[in-house]
Amino acid sequence: MTLATPLVWRALPVFALTVRQFLAGRMARVTLALALLPTLFALIYLVRPGDVTPRGFLTTTFQQLFLPTLLPIAVLLLATSAFGNELEDRTLPYLTLKPRARPRIVLEKWLAVLVVALPLLLGGLALTTLVASRGPVDTASRVAPETALGPLLGAMAGATVAGTVLLASVFLLVSLVVPRALLAGMVYVFAWETLLGRFLPGVKSVSIRHAAESVFVALLGDPDVTVEGASTLRGALLAVAIVSLVALALAAWRLRTMDLE
Amino acid sequence: MTETTPRPRWSARPAAAAPLSMPPAEREALPGLVAGASPTVVFEHVSRWYGDIVAVSDVSFGVAAGVTGLLGPNGAGKSTILKLMAGLISPSTGTIAIHGQKTRGNPAVYKRLGLVPEQEIVYPFLTGREFVRLNAVLQEVVDPAAATARAIGLVEMEEAAERAVGGYSKGMRQRIKVAAALVHDPDVLLLDEPLNGTDPVQRAGLIALLRRLGAEGRTVIVSSHVLTEVERFADNILVIVNGKLAAAGDILAIRDKMDEHPREVMIRADDPRRFAAALIGDRSTSAVRVDGDGRLLAQTHDIRAFSRAVPLLARREGVRLLEVQAVDESLASVFAYLVGR
Repeated sequence: MTLATPLVWRALPVFALTVRQFLAGRMARVTLALALLPTLFALIYLVRPGDVTPRGFLTTTFQQLFLPTLLPIAVLLLATSAFGNELEDRTLPYLTLKPRARPRIVLEKWLAVLVVALPLLLGGLALTTLVASRGPVDTASRVAPETALGPLLGAMAGATVAGTVLLASVFLLVSLVVPRALLAGMVYVFAWETLLGRFLPGVKSVSIRHAAESVFVALLGDPDVTVEGASTLRGALLAVAIVSLVALALAAWRLRTMDLE
Repeated sequence: MTETTPRPRWSARPAAAAPLSMPPAEREALPGLVAGASPTVVFEHVSRWYGDIVAVSDVSFGVAAGVTGLLGPNGAGKSTILKLMAGLISPSTGTIAIHGQKTRGNPAVYKRLGLVPEQEIVYPFLTGREFVRLNAVLQEVVDPAAATARAIGLVEMEEAAERAVGGYSKGMRQRIKVAAALVHDPDVLLLDEPLNGTDPVQRAGLIALLRRLGAEGRTVIVSSHVLTEVERFADNILVIVNGKLAAAGDILAIRDKMDEHPREVMIRADDPRRFAAALIGDRSTSAVRVDGDGRLLAQTHDIRAFSRAVPLLARREGVRLLEVQAVDESLASVFAYLVGR
């Protein structure tokens, strides 16, 4: 995103700036490390697979580790730093003291989070699937593991996109409202999404994880893979869209009304 | 003050004129304005507080075209006033207008306004040219590349424009910030301590630029806590002390008032006692004492004569000067003295 790409620079300057910010800082590298963590577990799994099939390993890893913990932390890091860095460095007036619509600034920041997060997260999932597919073949299945895992990867990708969209919107808002947004987000991820969501069904059903898991289960269409109280695909996507829109609208309102010291 | 501008594209409400309560005739007689001058920037009974702390207290003034210095000791409220003026923060009470329109949340005003904030950090991963160009694009300048080149030329940063801002010296960062603020050719320019960190050559260049911008008919407001610095570029000053307007108007008249009050200067020298004896024999010095750390604290009623005398006396006595600094509390007391007048 240099001057050699004047189109992006002119059409979406805040987006271009934010992507540069991510790539120049350590947030993109941390996100990449988080995205590759399941691949590391897949390599360990290959060493001692036991009687776990690649499908079983991937489903468990995705539902128990990726969705409740890795995905929220990766998106949290990027989304809170999108405005957080500007607030910390006091550079936000360079963007807000301009004849530029606040919703547009928020949308460009949001887009930058998605454009950096999704390739890393989806790439990590694809690599994990590829590695895990070398595990013990499911004898009951008549198709090759790589082929059998295709729909699973598709479902994981769909749920990851839905989760990333929702998390990016919510954490962008949080970063404009809460002074220590990263800390608040971490507490939310570990307390609500991971810990309470695991033990209290009521909490889980109103979590971001639940919406993403519902998308995953619906896209997969496997009766063996279920989520308690899962929404329909349409219901889950609607919830993702509505909550994201409300969060982005509130973020734009906050950006318009907040004082910049 | 009934000037109208196009409705901003992104605001839900039209860019309403600021509800200034003063009649135009009274507004033109606001502190800070030469008689008959039409104000570009108007503060009407503006206060801003943070909990129990009052940062700005019932300040009213007008600023017309030309260079105006916003002078006051550190912590007096100068930066708060500039942020209020730019619309970065909202006043607790009172009204602020630029060209008769409220500033905060008003894109029509932002198009005519340039701000050089005090903080040093500028996106360190961008080159100077990219940073200025970013501002040009965000200001919707028709030809951002040409505007960027022009603005960089104004601050004489052509040679360093392709280097990352993170590697700039403090003075270079100040200059590139000025270029970014000028890239859309604003007619109101607010600068918060722009000379901080600049070397004498950079300082002279920036001062010449400020004077030129003022002479072109722009309204340029520059904050500083150094009177001798403000004297070099401003014709008018607003003196802020403890969040209040202490004095406003012609800089020479206010300077004369300030000179009536004693100033304290701290001097470190390799032979403080010998230099103290030399100082006390000079007419510009009212009193001298040497503190426990061997520092000289000299009091003067004529800071200009004193400033001239110090190096001459040091040379005559063969004393090496290590540091000469106006004591900030002394400057604050001068400003406080103005409030009391």
